[in-house]
Amino acid sequence: MTDSTLAPGVSILNMRNYSVGRSRVSIAILLACVGLLGSVDANDHAILQRYCMECHSGSDPEGGFHLKMLGDSVNEESREYWQASLEYVSLGDMPPNDDSSVTPSERERIARYLRRVIIAAGEKKAAVSSVPTRRLNNREFANSISDALGIEDPGTHFPLGDLLGDTLHEGFDTNGDALGISEYHLEKYIAAVRNVVDAVIWTGEKPESERYEVPSEMLKMTSLSQQTRRRESAVRHPDSVDFRDMRVRMYFDNFDSVPETGYYNIQIRATGIDRGYYDAEMTGVHDGDPIRLAVHLGDRERVFDLPDDDMKEIELTEWLAKGTRIELSYPTDGLRKRGNGNFKFQQAIAHDHIKQHDPELYEEVVAQIRKKGGRRKLGVNHWSHWVDYWRGPRPRVYGAVVEGPFYNSWPPQRQVNLIGASPDVQDAEKVLKRIAERAWKREVRDGELDPFVRLVEQRKAELGNIEALKEGIVAIFVSPSFLLIDPEEGTPADRFATKLSYFFRSTLPEVVLRQQVAAGELNDFESVRDAVELYIRDAKADEFLDEFPHAWLQLDRINFMAPDPDHYPHYHRKSVSDDMVAEAKAFFRYAVENNLPVPEMLTSDYSFINADLAKVYGIDDVPDDSTLRRYQFTDGRRGGLLGMGAFLTLTADTLGTSPIHRAVYVLENYMGIKPSPPPGDVEIQEPDVRQAKTIKDILAAHIAEDTCASCHRSIDPYGYAFENFDPVGAWRDNYVQLTVDTPSQAAKKTKKRKQARFELPIDASSTFRNGNSYHDIAEFRTLMQSDANQIQFVRCFVKKLLMYANGTEPDDIAEIERILAKSAEHDFRVVDTIAAVVDSPLFRQQ
Amino acid sequence: MSFSRRSILQGLGGALALPRLESVARGSEVRARERRSDTVAAPLRFLVVGNPLGMHPPNFFPRDFGTDYTMSRTLQPLEWVRDRFTVLSHTDHGMKSGHGREIAFLSGVLPETSHAFAEKNMSIDQLIARHIGDDVRFPSIHAALQTGIRMVWNANGVELKPFTNPEKMFEHLFLNLSEQAKREQVQTLERNSSILDAVGEQFADVKSRASVADRERLDQFGTSIRELEQRIQTRHDWVGRDKPEYDISHHLQGEATIIRRYNAIFDMVAYAFQTDLTRVATIAFPNELGYTDVNGVTRGYHACTHNGKDEQVVSELVAIESFQIEQLSRFMKQLDEIDEPNADGSLLDHTVILFGSGMGYGGTHSNRNLPILVAGGGFNHLGHVDTRSPAGNNMPLCNLFVTLMQRFGIERDRFNLSTGSFDLEYA
Repeated sequence: MTDSTLAPGVSILNMRNYSVGRSRVSIAILLACVGLLGSVDANDHAILQRYCMECHSGSDPEGGFHLKMLGDSVNEESREYWQASLEYVSLGDMPPNDDSSVTPSERERIARYLRRVIIAAGEKKAAVSSVPTRRLNNREFANSISDALGIEDPGTHFPLGDLLGDTLHEGFDTNGDALGISEYHLEKYIAAVRNVVDAVIWTGEKPESERYEVPSEMLKMTSLSQQTRRRESAVRHPDSVDFRDMRVRMYFDNFDSVPETGYYNIQIRATGIDRGYYDAEMTGVHDGDPIRLAVHLGDRERVFDLPDDDMKEIELTEWLAKGTRIELSYPTDGLRKRGNGNFKFQQAIAHDHIKQHDPELYEEVVAQIRKKGGRRKLGVNHWSHWVDYWRGPRPRVYGAVVEGPFYNSWPPQRQVNLIGASPDVQDAEKVLKRIAERAWKREVRDGELDPFVRLVEQRKAELGNIEALKEGIVAIFVSPSFLLIDPEEGTPADRFATKLSYFFRSTLPEVVLRQQVAAGELNDFESVRDAVELYIRDAKADEFLDEFPHAWLQLDRINFMAPDPDHYPHYHRKSVSDDMVAEAKAFFRYAVENNLPVPEMLTSDYSFINADLAKVYGIDDVPDDSTLRRYQFTDGRRGGLLGMGAFLTLTADTLGTSPIHRAVYVLENYMGIKPSPPPGDVEIQEPDVRQAKTIKDILAAHIAEDTCASCHRSIDPYGYAFENFDPVGAWRDNYVQLTVDTPSQAAKKTKKRKQARFELPIDASSTFRNGNSYHDIAEFRTLMQSDANQIQFVRCFVKKLLMYANGTEPDDIAEIERILAKSAEHDFRVVDTIAAVVDSPLFRQQ
Repeated sequence: MSFSRRSILQGLGGALALPRLESVARGSEVRARERRSDTVAAPLRFLVVGNPLGMHPPNFFPRDFGTDYTMSRTLQPLEWVRDRFTVLSHTDHGMKSGHGREIAFLSGVLPETSHAFAEKNMSIDQLIARHIGDDVRFPSIHAALQTGIRMVWNANGVELKPFTNPEKMFEHLFLNLSEQAKREQVQTLERNSSILDAVGEQFADVKSRASVADRERLDQFGTSIRELEQRIQTRHDWVGRDKPEYDISHHLQGEATIIRRYNAIFDMVAYAFQTDLTRVATIAFPNELGYTDVNGVTRGYHACTHNGKDEQVVSELVAIESFQIEQLSRFMKQLDEIDEPNADGSLLDHTVILFGSGMGYGGTHSNRNLPILVAGGGFNHLGHVDTRSPAGNNMPLCNLFVTLMQRFGIERDRFNLSTGSFDLEYA
């Protein structure tokens, strides 16, 4: 027993309870556990023998877990069993209520004991084992090389286009095992670095600037197919061109691509036309959304809102790499019938609208069609006749001017910054050292650059000063000191600065940060906390705020099995998955920026929705636009992570939902528990939508088997609560039999759907093993606000943060409990919890 | 007089500009001389065709066993060649259920447990490529559309990504550079080689300062440097020599359907085998690809596996699976029309083909009873085989892999989870 571990416990005693939503959360459990660290006799787990032995022993122990797997104490092999035991017992799943008469207070005692053993084992541990180095992922590579070279991004000529994609591990792109390196990777890195450096440093005369006037005749549209004879997808006026098909891009016919790298000034005159002319229901474009124009500069994109019927002069000045193409597009999530744009569907709107609102024009057009047809009888409602009458919301572009390249000085400043105004191979060491110290995130050792200097010297005769120096620069970025994060021991200060920077900003540390850390300015919790707050306030944590929730909530999986397009057309027509992902990220950002208590994220009664999500969620009092706004739900069913469409959709099948998938998701991502997958030799019943059975009936049969029962009784209660949410996350009271049409049937079908053949009421109730039961999602959400569940959620959050930071699962469970105690001292608030993670040896020393 | 291997290939390369039959004739002439000088026999090639979701079992597995079995619905396109492939029932890697484990298809080993195996989770194609790939321009070639299915892993346990764009694959395999471009490429290769020298030297210093925990990943880095150096060397050797000429433009005109693009991919592999550009290839049918170009398919591949037994959706799944088999059949036909220049039989008889998946069936998430088919390779094929032991246990798929390795002259009797080998003789 040491003072340092007592300290958090003591301060917890003075802490007030705090409230989350409707429930009062006490930190009683934590208090008891951390505060009462006594000596532990590791050889005597009498309490476990007494309560657990009956089921977890013998040749076929329940759940495949034998008590002897815990061993005498916590060690490398038994660690995960101890942790799992603690989690199951603190959640009340074990010992189960159905097989024993264990009281909640007895369970608490067992949990306390387990925690004591775990923390005591952590005390004895000599040093925290370190996490191995890993390769930068492609995101980090792009940011790091840009920062090391002092440029805004790697370049507009798709310089990194050939890099091999990163593999995610449980959603995380920071996992060292998944981020392997091979000769293929290395080869692509060399090519990519060359591409990037070529757009920063080059030889030659200063290019002359030119001005390219792009009148409307020179505005051309790309084509979707390779058949060039196809009619152009644009509406052409004497002075302007309108977008008609949002899938195609506009380009400047007299400006093929950027002739020489440099600054370019681009002016575009454009306006928005006919917003709201058609009913938004038909076009899928909300009346409240401005018409927008995207300017694509190679792989850099800038988006502008266009005023209605009022000319906007867009002006941008950008550093563009040689070969960059400039294109314009019309970004909208409307004007699609299914997943992609549909030209015919658009023109049908024009037909229907004119027929209904302008009978005179309608007759006129019909007469023209008849005339054109002559003796042939043409179908007047065929889409092709109405193309010219399309009046949907669209950008109109009048023309553009491109001028460049410009340079504020010659040679360009960014080149001078790196290699000086009159570079000479003589200075190679000096030049390379400056770049290497940024790229390698540490001081360069004496003589370390010798091989690079020799390389430059060897190349001079053949390539000249500048190109020879570039070879040395390329080599710096192919070095393991750049491509790997902390491949060598280094100083603890450098390691921590690097870690911190990649955690929040996914790039190499700024010099200031390295100096601060080296000066000991980030040595305690308070200063770390202030630093975290600064990162967030100064918008320097955007990569973290964007990428961490993406990884944690496994948002990459959202369309792994997208809902069926016939039954859930809105989801596809409006790309609702994008809104769902945006909702989850907006919610997380809000929680961090307002430093909310972590548990509030799970069960809060609000979220961030727009009109497309409102339609799924059955909400009708939100503005008619795509902007996400905070919305308070009043039905007790939605809000927070438990009500997110993203979670409900990514855990569903196309036609049906699976309580098991949802339960596993809740356990893994909210509770931090990994249920083991079913053994390979189990015959799994395939869901059969044709039979009048609920998923509960089907699973009941499965669970009746002994081998399945022990796990499923723990897992399933975490999933049944969501049965009222269909595959897109919309509310339903009944299961409806889904009939699937062949394409030909679907085409013939009238708008009115046939009556469904049967409906079955949904039973979303279940009972946890600790005896707690719920009838519906509202009661489930209340149960999730219990102390034990909320603390488990914070524990999960802490583990996920560490996975993101370290690229591997944390193995020091005692230390996690300490982080939790620190978090508890601060009402489990998000920023404080993140700071507790960053300040922990699990972050610092690894 | 003896010919160096490379000069023969060079001669072959020139001859290949001629129409196919002539080129074969000419090739066999060269080969015949080669045989007289007592060098090599006909090469044996290896193709893996895989998918990540398994096959709908009732439609894939024939109902009866033996050589007289009734052809199953999905395998119909292969009826014409029924005596030259074997369908294996009841093989697997003993994996638990669920997605994500199919990536162990070609090794039986998942990345997370690969540390326990000397060869990590290296896939069987790479093991074979290491053995037979050195003599040819490309040790192995990998292709898919849209994205890979993570079935190819190197000896370091790193996934090798396939070409997902047929045009890029074409450039890689067949595009000949102008003299100017060749000179530039030689220059770039030399410059890259010097960069690797410098990095390698600094790497040694970094490694000496690394902690024990960092060693493994640094070894991976070191191996990558060495292997890239070798690759650059090989490329340097080959860059001056022309690749065989080939034309796939007819596949890429008009709308780029997946049918046309897979035709192009399979054709390129067939021609690469024929001209000995490579001897090992893999082709994958990923889940993320849209299969709506295939007749009758309106849904996503994965969605079709979770069909709730709805007949319409099942039929779409079977259409996707049949499409894969049709592609395979088309490829086999193509190989079978070419006589092996240096030996009896057709190219098909000198090409071992493995079709299958690391997943049993997506609809049940089962990874038992994998759909596995072996074709060609001069084996005495057995029809439809129940591989279960007398005790009723499934056969480890690695047993089949042992057999395949041996067919390629690799003298080993074990591979990862193998308990023996699969009895498949060859003439």
